[in-house]
Amino acid sequence: MSILVNKASKVLIQGITGTQASFHVKRSIDYGTNVVAGVTPGKGGITHLGVPVFDSAIEAVKETGANASVMFVPAKFVKDAVREAAEAELDLCVCIADGVPIKDMLEIKEMLRGAKTKLIGPNTPGIITPGEARLGIFPENIHHPGRIGVVSRSSTLTYEAVIETTRAGLGQSTVIGLGDDMLIGIDFVETLEKFMTDPDTDAVVLIGQLGGTYEEEVAKYYKNLKVKKPVIGFVAGNAVPFGHKMGYAGEVITKGHVTAQDKQDAMHDSGMITVNKINNIHIELMKLFPQNA
Amino acid sequence: MNIHEYQAKRILRQYGIVIPKGMIAYTPTEAKKAATKVSFRGPWVLKAQIQSGARNKGYFLEKKAGRKGGIRLIKSRREIAVEAEKMLGATLVTVQTGPKGKQVGRVYVEAYNKVKKNFYASLVIDRTLPAITLLVADTNNEDITTLAISAPEKILRLPLDLITGASSEQIQKVIDFLHLSPKVFKNMETFVNGMHQAFVDYDAVMIEVNPVGVTAAGQIIALDAKMSFDNNALYRHKDISMLQDEYEEEDRELKAAKYGFQYSEFDGNIGCIVNGDGIALAAMDLIRTKGNNGTACFLNVKGGVDKDKIAAGIKIIMTNPRVEGILINILGGFLRCNLIADGIVAAASEVGLNVPLVVRFEGTNKDEAKDILEHSKLPIIIAEDMEDSVDKLIEAMEESD
Repeated sequence: MSILVNKASKVLIQGITGTQASFHVKRSIDYGTNVVAGVTPGKGGITHLGVPVFDSAIEAVKETGANASVMFVPAKFVKDAVREAAEAELDLCVCIADGVPIKDMLEIKEMLRGAKTKLIGPNTPGIITPGEARLGIFPENIHHPGRIGVVSRSSTLTYEAVIETTRAGLGQSTVIGLGDDMLIGIDFVETLEKFMTDPDTDAVVLIGQLGGTYEEEVAKYYKNLKVKKPVIGFVAGNAVPFGHKMGYAGEVITKGHVTAQDKQDAMHDSGMITVNKINNIHIELMKLFPQNA
Repeated sequence: MNIHEYQAKRILRQYGIVIPKGMIAYTPTEAKKAATKVSFRGPWVLKAQIQSGARNKGYFLEKKAGRKGGIRLIKSRREIAVEAEKMLGATLVTVQTGPKGKQVGRVYVEAYNKVKKNFYASLVIDRTLPAITLLVADTNNEDITTLAISAPEKILRLPLDLITGASSEQIQKVIDFLHLSPKVFKNMETFVNGMHQAFVDYDAVMIEVNPVGVTAAGQIIALDAKMSFDNNALYRHKDISMLQDEYEEEDRELKAAKYGFQYSEFDGNIGCIVNGDGIALAAMDLIRTKGNNGTACFLNVKGGVDKDKIAAGIKIIMTNPRVEGILINILGGFLRCNLIADGIVAAASEVGLNVPLVVRFEGTNKDEAKDILEHSKLPIIIAEDMEDSVDKLIEAMEESD
């Protein structure tokens, strides 16, 4: 078991016929992901990578019962693709593209308010439940089925965290990249809620970074939890001079200087185990699960 | 992307916002002519156009520019050309420019407007809501960033509706917060919603007017203006892209942007090539924990690149004179490691490799990538994980000293 996706997930690929999409979707299929359909407007009727292609997501869902999607569409078409995913009432859509304009994301967040569809991303490697389903672009060879949940805002640090679990002799229940952008779909709180109630997750590795207040919010949530599974946290960005490439207004909105250390302190105060170096995560995991080391 | 004050003011004016009469000048003679056109008797305000705040509190590196800052109140017309002459070509340093400062290439000549009161206003995105949010403060000459830390309650924060902007109740709140007369309501509404509409129409990420002036007659005037735009949305605003002042961007930064990369400079000695913001931050953190080393620059090549682009990126790093060692950390997902390896080999064979280079690959096609490097016979060090890569690089840098 896992959170959000598993081998029963019926996956639709939005923008399936592109070169990058083809490369990664083929790998996902080879991995065992249950890819049931693709969508490329104007190419409905063809078969690509062994799956039927439709003109719209609604049509694809009607014909195949797809309940999750991965979008390989360019940034400028993301807003339309999310709208389609929401109209087709998918449970989940994963947006890989980076460079989605902020205004489009404001509109997308508005669109998804109260909708059934959850968005992961944009600018994310996606979500993978090792051995079951790969929705995105994760390097599959670093993942192993296991009982540690991994969630990160940064794509590349997601991989680092996964490698750390492996070094501790552990595998992952589900790995999620939330996305590197200013505005994203689901956040740490929503993800941690799911991991906390997932019977197949024993502990979580959570990787935050400078900017925004997602880490402070998840710390607040975790602090108030009555029953807690262990969470190992790391926040990247302590060496960045504050205000780098930011105007005054950027500082004002975060109420003064919020450093990576402030975030990490908030996480530590909430009861999370925090580490100062990402490569120390495996040490803490080995303390929690000595029998696997 | 940022634009100059006078350009931001021109945009705001299209939305009904009142701005002082002003003209841009590139030479002292132009400044003198401009002064006559914007106000017959003066006084005037002469403003250095560099993309930075706090210009008034800044100072010039050159003696000839005098001891005053980048914004000067001028009372007689004769002085206009004299002061413009001092500022043009000189280097203005502010808290936002860093110690190198920025050279002033043009000055903005404005009519001085007598105001009864000043306040701070900006629009930014509050990502927790998320919403375009209006920030207003009665700054009383206090620095807004100081206020944000010392007395955040003195800053009013109002999230605005994306489509309709500020409501009447919100406008009233602003007026009450600033203790202004009710008669300014209409003008305040035009000001706030003008800013909001400009923000939405132009895909801005920040508009800041500091200060906003309120005249005795209740007029609301944008005495300053700063606008930043979402680089990812510039494709739908050709008019804004054209305003890009290449002079303001670091040369290497601009080159990197042309390849779709993100490049930032710091004051350390190690050049990093990474494929994500997170790994860039984590690498910088690690470097700082090791002795006296720091990051000189990082180049984020993001995803979906080809060999030629990577080679170009590496050359950008190699041309930074601060760089004494290069650290490449690639976690291939979308990006395939073998493409990076090809790029490294291409760049190194073309421009030569005169500083130690450590590479760490993980993920998609990492074994192919290692093979490529090993076959190249170049003095490239391969590392196992991020910390190992930093350690190996520092060791190699110490040896080459």
